[in-house]
Amino acid sequence: MDLNYTPEDIAFRKQVRAWLEQNLPREPIRTLAEHRVWHKKLYEAGYLGMGWPKEYGGGGARPMEQAIVGDEMARANAPAPTNGLGLGIVGPTIVVHGTEAQKQRYLRKILTAEEMWCQLYSEPNAGSDLAALKTSAVDQGDHFVVNGQKIWTSGGAVADWGLLLARTDPKVPKHRGITCFLMNMRQPGVDVRPLKQITGSSEFSEVFMTNARVEESDQIGKLGEGWAIAQTTLGYERGGRSLARVTTYAAQYGSLVNAARRLRRHGRPLSDDPLVRQKLGRIWAELEVERYSALRVLTQLERGEHPGAGGSVTKLSYSEFEKRFMELAEEILGPYGQLTDGAPPEYQLQIDTAVGERGTWAYAYLWSRAGTIYAGSSEIQKNVIGERILGLPKETRADRAGAMR
Amino acid sequence: MNFAFSDDQVLLRNSVRAALDEQCTPEHVRAMMDDTRGHGEALWGEMAKLGWLGLPFAEEYGGAGLGLVELCLVQEELGRAAYPGPYFASVVLGGLGLVLGGSAAQKEKWLPAVASGSARLSAALVEESLDWDPAATGATAARSGDGWTLTGVKRFVPWAHVADMVLVPARTPEGLSLFLVAPSSPGVSLRPMVGIDLANRWSEMTLQGVTVKPDALVGQPGAAGSLLEALLRRAAVSASAEMLGAARRCLDLSVEYAKVREQFGQPIGSFQAIRHRCAEMLVAAENAHAAVYYAAWALDAGAEDAAVAASVCKSYVGEAARQVCGDAIQVHGGIGFTWEYDLHLYFKRAKALEPLYGDAEYHRELIARHVVV
Repeated sequence: MDLNYTPEDIAFRKQVRAWLEQNLPREPIRTLAEHRVWHKKLYEAGYLGMGWPKEYGGGGARPMEQAIVGDEMARANAPAPTNGLGLGIVGPTIVVHGTEAQKQRYLRKILTAEEMWCQLYSEPNAGSDLAALKTSAVDQGDHFVVNGQKIWTSGGAVADWGLLLARTDPKVPKHRGITCFLMNMRQPGVDVRPLKQITGSSEFSEVFMTNARVEESDQIGKLGEGWAIAQTTLGYERGGRSLARVTTYAAQYGSLVNAARRLRRHGRPLSDDPLVRQKLGRIWAELEVERYSALRVLTQLERGEHPGAGGSVTKLSYSEFEKRFMELAEEILGPYGQLTDGAPPEYQLQIDTAVGERGTWAYAYLWSRAGTIYAGSSEIQKNVIGERILGLPKETRADRAGAMR
Repeated sequence: MNFAFSDDQVLLRNSVRAALDEQCTPEHVRAMMDDTRGHGEALWGEMAKLGWLGLPFAEEYGGAGLGLVELCLVQEELGRAAYPGPYFASVVLGGLGLVLGGSAAQKEKWLPAVASGSARLSAALVEESLDWDPAATGATAARSGDGWTLTGVKRFVPWAHVADMVLVPARTPEGLSLFLVAPSSPGVSLRPMVGIDLANRWSEMTLQGVTVKPDALVGQPGAAGSLLEALLRRAAVSASAEMLGAARRCLDLSVEYAKVREQFGQPIGSFQAIRHRCAEMLVAAENAHAAVYYAAWALDAGAEDAAVAASVCKSYVGEAARQVCGDAIQVHGGIGFTWEYDLHLYFKRAKALEPLYGDAEYHRELIARHVVV
């Protein structure tokens, strides 16, 4: 056990920090075109797809180097790269499950953001019960015809391509009739409508597919094995950004403490109020525990171990923590915490939120409600932990045996 | 950067666990609960033989020269076994106290004796007010001849009734100082303080004009404050490791029980109400693990954030362990509330340690002094 960074990692961190100081955009990034420019710059510096195989444009880097880049970007409050779903989920899925032709065709363009990606998983009636999805893909020989509706498609509005889960065999039990595809979003049969969330913004979309076409060569894995593939892609979504996430929390915490020093109650600063100090002390302890846990996960990744279901422990822990953190922030900031506009600078959150660019406490507070729902709700994570880590018996469920329809 | 145990550390943990599984069974724990001294000489001798009693001392004092990480590995296993005895009092409180502040002569006299098991130490870190801040010490030491005379009342002194020597903080004209006091000295009286954890023992220690020789002074007069703070941090982290062990055992018992206990015609672990509770217990235990071993490493390495890490650890683990052990009773239902079933041994161990060496509020204020200022 040695939690010091190696001299190589310290040197690498310095190099990343220096690069960011040189190259960080001076003006806030607004348009997709500006985002793509920044993205390309990051890629050319070798900071995207760092862990992907070199032959497909990746960097073949160690998990620690990837974590350091993420961490330094969070520290510098750097804009996130675009094409997050492509980088985080679609690319790794193609690396693991794709054919050689698919790897050659898609991976590099994900890295350069020439092609933007979304993930077509959830449906109105298939959320936590994702395997109940009804979108159908019917085999026509050289292609499939897709009909159905997807929801909670992040990045759907700008996506050129989507990673699709669709039912190819309704006659077998539901987990076995699903296949995974790469679908072109730029076709007449695909209709994307923005979904307005409680934040007032629309990071997600609804996607309607009417006789949309998917080439046979864009099938990932075998027919009927989509569920297993989806399990691994959900796995990629868990745990990867943990260090950067904690650094962002720490910056938000610093901002909150500054506000607590200015705000007063009964004539003295909130930061002198023992009750407030207790609450701030508790949240800092929880935040540090998240950081220690991130270091533990990184150790596993460095040793070449996949956290597997352990990723559910990480995700459950940080997403629930984030809600408690933001609730405390709101408690301390009072009505300032709810301002979406017109907040004085000292009560603004100058830091990017997890996915958006609007640095308000109100937005961060509202967003904290998303983390315990997306990528498997807390309840689903607890099922995974119970069954796969603790070995508790599965519940008796009527839906595992019979055919889908 | 490596947050995994080394092969040697894994080996140590496995051998400690194997020895305790054999010699510190629940039957042994229960027997010691009714024992006058409260701990068994056979197990104590075995701990000495296996090198656990000198684990953190330098080799020149008969120790193994290992760090707080290894000490916490042992403490975690002791918690998992609800071990009855003065290991923590002697090795952590007394032993590390002397390692941190003792003279060469004091270390030479006491550390090899602690390591061999022939002497037992403890420390008296709190008084009536329960203020763990060393500055709150009310006991006094006045010069008498070339030595000192101590007066005061200490509370919750662990295993003082079997200790040969107790580290006692007292106020001198120079400021806060630390003394070695034998409980057998004239003027010292011990009164048992019996808590819910009967496998652990505490005493009230009253000092009425207790005279000690000059060599009883640990460190310089007036210079004990930082030594005691350093000791308190190590005590807090070691106690956290023990609470973590108790929590782990409670989680294991709960999961095993949830697999075999049937109600409504199926194992209760198949119900989400039980499964989700067990999952939350695991998250708490894993987070507590990270908090304990990060803090232990930080103290060993002299890391910049070592003091905060110790407070993060104690405040987090105390509550997490209480939660996990309490949830274990809930998962078990009625059987978990019986004296006969072993769960309460671990539940009580975790609860007994929670308020000691600074409770969660105490340590959260220390955190706030660092990060809120």
